[in-house]
Amino acid sequence: MSFPASAADILTSVLLILATITLYQSFAWLQKRSGRIWLNPMLLSILVIIPCLLLTEMPFQQFYRATEPLNMLLEPAVVALGFPLYQQLSQIARQWKVIFSLLILGALLVISISFCLTMLLLNYPQIAVSLSLKSITTPIGLALTSELQGDTSVTAFAIILAGLFGALLGPAWLKAINVHSAKAQGLAIGAASHALGTATISKTSYEHGAYGSLALIISAIVTALISPGLIDYLQVFFTGFVGI
Amino acid sequence: MPKFSRFKHKPLFICLYSIFAIAVSLGAGKMLAATLEGLPGSLHGMIVFTVLLHFQVFDAQIIKPAITWIIQHMGVCFVPAGVGIINHFELIQQHGLAIVAIIFITTFILLTFVGLCCEHFCQNKTVNKQPGG
Repeated sequence: MSFPASAADILTSVLLILATITLYQSFAWLQKRSGRIWLNPMLLSILVIIPCLLLTEMPFQQFYRATEPLNMLLEPAVVALGFPLYQQLSQIARQWKVIFSLLILGALLVISISFCLTMLLLNYPQIAVSLSLKSITTPIGLALTSELQGDTSVTAFAIILAGLFGALLGPAWLKAINVHSAKAQGLAIGAASHALGTATISKTSYEHGAYGSLALIISAIVTALISPGLIDYLQVFFTGFVGI
Repeated sequence: MPKFSRFKHKPLFICLYSIFAIAVSLGAGKMLAATLEGLPGSLHGMIVFTVLLHFQVFDAQIIKPAITWIIQHMGVCFVPAGVGIINHFELIQQHGLAIVAIIFITTFILLTFVGLCCEHFCQNKTVNKQPGG
């Protein structure tokens, strides 16, 4: 962890953090006002900051170092997610067998398919790790990506896209394949499109929201437990396989 | 700023109490991670936090408004990490479409799998006939 040293560095750091927060809050306000899910403040802030860095010719490393305090808040943010988990405990206790088996199988399936597809099409292990972890909530996805030597920026981007796809098209798709119950819709959207999808489906009914958040929390925990072993295995399989 | 005024505790107390609870859980999580390895310390911390709330070591009612505020605003912390995609222009130029396609396909595979399995194997008492929105 490196802190800015000189007064100029500290000033740059404060200004860049303030600018990032202001930008994010403006987009968050815009999304709230318009009610459009695709006006995602995280995605739009990233899309505005990138051209700004290119125009001012500021290297990414400098921006990243200056905004390091924001990054340091990632760990407490993950811990805070224990609160919704605590709120869902009684529901988990009642139906843990079905929900856990379903979400464990789902996680196994999506990690394996994402990893294999990426390796077959791109042959790029770092990106394969990132894309395998895209269905879970951002703080846990990023923590796991750094642990498994993936690329956090690709994971962050992939997580937003997975969230947007599920939030925008998920409910219509589920209806098209005859999935109508609130429990099935909530669990599916929560597992595939984490908080972004859950926020959208919560507007349908309270039950949708409850199952959505339940799925997003359990999926994240299940993925955290199985991904290190599974990804290690897949990496060995592919490096051995492709290396021949 | 968070609207804590409608809660019976003072905002400063809520903030300090929540920061303390999260810091204790994170510290314990990091110690667990150092001994157990595998999962990141923050995830162990999340589980410790849940357990401490469940056994009422910390008062969930006091922490609730602070957590609501944190969850609502935590997205900004992920922006710097996301901007890192700037280092991957070549990758996006070469494989951007393939990456988006993989994300799209696998998201729908997971949606379909969980949705269909739950519809068939879970006991669904309530059926939602209302269109979304």
